[in-house]
Amino acid sequence: MSNVNYVTFTIVLVLFLIVTLTGFAAARWRRTEDMMHLNEWGLGGRSFGTFVAWFLLGGDLYTAYTFIAVPAAVFGAGAVTGFFAVSYTIIVFPIALIFLPRLWSIARTHNYITPADFVRGRYGSHSLSLAVAITGIVALMPYIALQLVGIDAVLTVMGVGTSSGNTFVKDLPLFIAFLVLALYTYVSGLRAPALTAFIKDTLVYVMIIVAVFYIPTRIGGWGHIFAAGEAHMKAISPVTHKPNGVFIPTTGNSQLAFSTLALGSALALMVYPHAVTGVLSTKRRDIIKRNMALLPLYSLMLGFIALLGYMALADKATVASVKKAGGNAQLAVPYLFQHLFPSWFTGIAFSAIVIGALVPAAIMAIASANLFTRNIFTEFFKPDATPRLQTQVSQWASLVVKLGALLFAVSLPRTFSINLQLLGGIWILQIFPMIVFGLFTRWFHRWALLAGWLAGEIFGTIAAYKVATPTTSHWAGSTDLVFGHTVYIGLSAFILNVAIVVILTLIFKAARVPEGADETLPQEYTADPAQPSAPTPAAVGIGSTGAAPDQKTH
Amino acid sequence: MTQASIKSRSPIAAHPVTSAIIAILIVAVIFFAVYVPLYARATPMVGDFPFFYFYLLIYMPVVSIVCWVVVLLQKRVRPSGSQDGPAAASAGPGEVNGRTQ
Repeated sequence: MSNVNYVTFTIVLVLFLIVTLTGFAAARWRRTEDMMHLNEWGLGGRSFGTFVAWFLLGGDLYTAYTFIAVPAAVFGAGAVTGFFAVSYTIIVFPIALIFLPRLWSIARTHNYITPADFVRGRYGSHSLSLAVAITGIVALMPYIALQLVGIDAVLTVMGVGTSSGNTFVKDLPLFIAFLVLALYTYVSGLRAPALTAFIKDTLVYVMIIVAVFYIPTRIGGWGHIFAAGEAHMKAISPVTHKPNGVFIPTTGNSQLAFSTLALGSALALMVYPHAVTGVLSTKRRDIIKRNMALLPLYSLMLGFIALLGYMALADKATVASVKKAGGNAQLAVPYLFQHLFPSWFTGIAFSAIVIGALVPAAIMAIASANLFTRNIFTEFFKPDATPRLQTQVSQWASLVVKLGALLFAVSLPRTFSINLQLLGGIWILQIFPMIVFGLFTRWFHRWALLAGWLAGEIFGTIAAYKVATPTTSHWAGSTDLVFGHTVYIGLSAFILNVAIVVILTLIFKAARVPEGADETLPQEYTADPAQPSAPTPAAVGIGSTGAAPDQKTH
Repeated sequence: MTQASIKSRSPIAAHPVTSAIIAILIVAVIFFAVYVPLYARATPMVGDFPFFYFYLLIYMPVVSIVCWVVVLLQKRVRPSGSQDGPAAASAGPGEVNGRTQ
């Protein structure tokens, strides 16, 4: 700890303490009589308005990993693998506007808490809902672990804990951060990330606005920044003997990779369980719609965050530091801040990244815990679980999930987590047909959806395993050649998935295979019930109730 | 498809023009972001920004506005009940504190 800047360190520590206190205090925020209910612990009472939902969803979807990895990818390889994220966050909102309000309405009417609850109710199928639950839990684990990669990058640059050779001492700050996070999530549930998201987003906005106006003046203006980016991308890598990256995608293949990555990622984002959790925590249907129009403001910020990658390339000291640290591009943004900001502001910027990791990690752990409780524990082991028991199981499950993610992040190489997160996107995209198609039609057969899902998962995993570069033999990326075109594997697996679903649906319908019971009614998909259906014990068991009494049908 | 699906489609049938505008807006806003050849070039530079980067950044506020217009148009297709009328329109940041039951 000899080279720690104590001003920076103190500011990070103080802001971390403020967030911790806020997290615990959140248990008292909007308190209701019965907190031991999944609607309360897991969905914040389904009570958030436009303003809270904007911070919560923004805090949920734009993670610390985004702040570190997107500029790192731009720093390393330019537009296609990095800046596609900007295009992706452009199209995610108009796509979500088509189906999220319907998901909200049906979940509110039937008191669904997870996306798997909806699939269970719509298709009357345990196995289909189990497929959604398992995919969600498996895909979220590396995503939570990756939040640690974000914290770790900051801690490394701060010089905290890196001097020790002992793994435990080295990772002690990570352990402490995650322990604190786990405890306040256990106590406060979704209220904790909702309240701490205010602090996170304020810090992130301050950080990025200052960075965008201040850094260019220090390193020779935007012209110089883009010139440095272009020069680096065009330079020939000594390892691969190809250019380092793409500054502007002008070839057909780079354009196709860019747009399929954007489209596939956009389709996947809103079916991630943590996104659904954020959406279902809102009070009214139009709050979702309004937020789809307001959230692109975060994407504008993401655009500038991505450009931090080029700023890092334009700053010689940062490039030298990254090279000295073994060429780890994840450290580019923390080094850039450390070199160019005064140490007190570096502290604020680093806090923004650390806290930016805690908020989504909490929501992801809650989403995973809810999936486990509702769709595995209650569904298969204890169908008569009371709301109280369900909440307790979720609380413990959230601890287990976080512990798992921590062990994951500490014991496995960092690159492994990153690869698994890329895989997570491919996996999650395969549950899109069950959920989103199901919101519009019951035409697709449940067994066809299950078969398509399985085929998509297997194809996607194998295809991603086979991607190789001269430096990496497996899992080298998430695009692949399909008939000579470079395509995002998630999207090609998705197309295979849908093709199988359509063909098998026709076959199963012709063979009159039982379709399963559908407990939803068409008008419920546009309903706007003022309150969740009465949280009586009977209403909580999966799929046991009909419409809420005060539901409006129009 | 049964009577039920016809019923759920009726608001769209009742407002064919508005519904078509909504569909066109959503498809267009996705298309102009996904169709990369349209903007994958360095010129014209806007300030110091290559066109490719300028286009994607300026697209964000555009998406925001288009989504807002779609939300407003959807209200005309499927008007909300009393509860979501003027009260909802005026409910903004103030909702943070008071929990409405």
